[in-house]
Amino acid sequence: MSDQVSVKAAGSGQNVQQPTRRDSILDVRGLYTYFYTDLGVARALNGVTYSIPREKVLGIVGESGCGKSVTALSIMQLVQPPGRIVKGEVVLHRQNGAGPTDDVVLTDLARHGVAMRHIRGAEIAMIFQEPMSSLNPLFTIGAQIMEAILLHQGVDEAEARDRAITSLDRVGMPSPKVVVDQYPHQISGGMRQRAMIALALSCAPSLLIADEPTTALDVTTEAQILDLMRTLQQDIGMSIMFITHDLGVIAQTADEVVIMYLGRVVEQAPVDPLFYDPLHPYTRALLRSIPRIGRGIKEKLQPIRGVVPNPYSRITGCPFSPRCDSFMTGVCNVNVPGVTYLDDGRAVRCFLYSDRVEENG
Amino acid sequence: MGSQTDFADLSEDNVLLDVQGLKKYFPIRRGLFQKVVGHVKAVDGVNFFIRDGETLGLVGESGCGKTTTGRTILHLLSPTAGKVRFKDPEQGWMDIASMSRQELQPIRRNMQIIFQDPFMSLNPRMTVKRIVAEPLIINKIAAGQELIDRVAEILKVVGLRPEYMSRYPHAFSGGQRQRIGIARALALRPRLMICDEPVSALDVSIQAQVLNLLEELQEQFDLTYLFIAHDLSVVEHICDRVAVMYVGKLVEVASTEELYYNPKHPYTEALMAAVPKADPRQRDRPIKLPGEVASPSNPPSGCYFHPRCRYAKPICSQEEPALREVEKDHWVSCHFAEELSLRGVVVGPSV
Repeated sequence: MSDQVSVKAAGSGQNVQQPTRRDSILDVRGLYTYFYTDLGVARALNGVTYSIPREKVLGIVGESGCGKSVTALSIMQLVQPPGRIVKGEVVLHRQNGAGPTDDVVLTDLARHGVAMRHIRGAEIAMIFQEPMSSLNPLFTIGAQIMEAILLHQGVDEAEARDRAITSLDRVGMPSPKVVVDQYPHQISGGMRQRAMIALALSCAPSLLIADEPTTALDVTTEAQILDLMRTLQQDIGMSIMFITHDLGVIAQTADEVVIMYLGRVVEQAPVDPLFYDPLHPYTRALLRSIPRIGRGIKEKLQPIRGVVPNPYSRITGCPFSPRCDSFMTGVCNVNVPGVTYLDDGRAVRCFLYSDRVEENG
Repeated sequence: MGSQTDFADLSEDNVLLDVQGLKKYFPIRRGLFQKVVGHVKAVDGVNFFIRDGETLGLVGESGCGKTTTGRTILHLLSPTAGKVRFKDPEQGWMDIASMSRQELQPIRRNMQIIFQDPFMSLNPRMTVKRIVAEPLIINKIAAGQELIDRVAEILKVVGLRPEYMSRYPHAFSGGQRQRIGIARALALRPRLMICDEPVSALDVSIQAQVLNLLEELQEQFDLTYLFIAHDLSVVEHICDRVAVMYVGKLVEVASTEELYYNPKHPYTEALMAAVPKADPRQRDRPIKLPGEVASPSNPPSGCYFHPRCRYAKPICSQEEPALREVEKDHWVSCHFAEELSLRGVVVGPSV
């Protein structure tokens, strides 16, 4: 990847080389995923690069169509035709005891192959936005959790049932011994999401991908699910990739944040500087445009002008340039900015921070 | 809000809409002969008023009856019981709840609604021109070139380009479609606008555009809003007063500031604590509400919230608390509203 080339940023003392990553569980490197539809090629991901820190929560934020869900599907190798990963790689760093990590390039594995099927569900698990449509209405909660356990853990049915009950208990399900024999329609939305989490955690994955897990839930239920996920993450020491459009949810759960816009990562930073000292104009604009509770004063919201362009269109230069307040004519509308890595480990893709240009933009 | 309030009182307080004891029950039918075996009490005795020119927020969790309340006020659903009194600019006070369709027609132009889903609420086979013109045609307000001019003007007001009026809804983005919905509601220059989750289907960057538009329109056209929403950050931003609903009943009504920073109902307290704050330096644990939201077809005895309330005492399961004015303009339905000292939203530092 061209991202590895070292160039010194003009006069800013910022090192443009990607720093050697502290312990990460998964790296996404220069990922391009396109959908070849009848209307044209939808470029869902245009060179996405980021890493998920081990035993931390990485939040992925962006508006609809920015590619946050496609990133998750690409990691899981679940992109369905007419979509496909065109370029780039996803590397899982497996930790076996205290020794060096065992690296698996997921993008090299056959989508339906045995190796990928062993990773999916067992090592990387996923929970979705709508728990009603991701649980099978024809099977009991217990049967669905047991299926995962029987598939990945090689235990007998009685043992699998016990483990299913244990995992339901762990996610705070009231009376797990009853719920294990109930069907999804018999429990509430919040409980269904708990069941989904129990299912995802039943095989003790090292990475959990949560795609808008609380968006369909009410605010009091949402708070409880977020609290549960935080507690479990700390107890089990698992890594979580948390996809959402809600900056409030991110501020409450994430350790690190990736901001996406039109199939590219525009900024990656730890959660505190992201909210208190955002770098990218898009991040700044997003934070200015949301009403915040507890501010006590009524100030006018500052919306981002224009709309997110459709994925079939190709924008010359920086994809955010038509909506950007810091737009520089002759710069932003000519080249795609490359990634600038700052000394504090933050990454931003904007000409305000270096004149680095994306080679294959 | 005593049920004896007469119209003179309401006018003094500059009230535009007064809702009293509003109920909407949906029958549950079972068996071969579709016998009514029970009722879903979606709205179960709601009292509130909206002052002329203000924005009243109606918040609560899904299934609490917010949307049904909005639709019953407009008589899109006929109320089971109760009074909905509206001060029509031409005809003065009238009780819409008891009126027939024909009687309602001239009044409807003063009460409009904006829906949540900008995709479902616009007819895909109608051009934007036709969608926005329809209320003007039905009410015989304009025809011919005048009609076209009116539509163009309204589209400009909501920030859409009149050149696009012969396009169909599919050619517009979500935010633009919501603007079309607003233009349609605005066409008749109504007094009262019911906004049913107008921004929840929109992306964050577009939400702010639509919220600002709603605020500008309110100023420009003296609109009164009933703003139904579940996003408490949005509600704090746009509302003057807020009503909190739980299982078909109002539990608290107060000015936005009072309700957010000095709540007097335990449910409001839990709701405020649950809002995820967009500030990583303020991470607090939510107040655990045990159990589930009560079913509106089989609500618990006494206070509907008592099985989940951490302050509940024996009286709470026996007697239903009435919505009463605890302080000036602060209405609460809790037996212990005066005694409890509850936590509101913590004011954060500005970022």
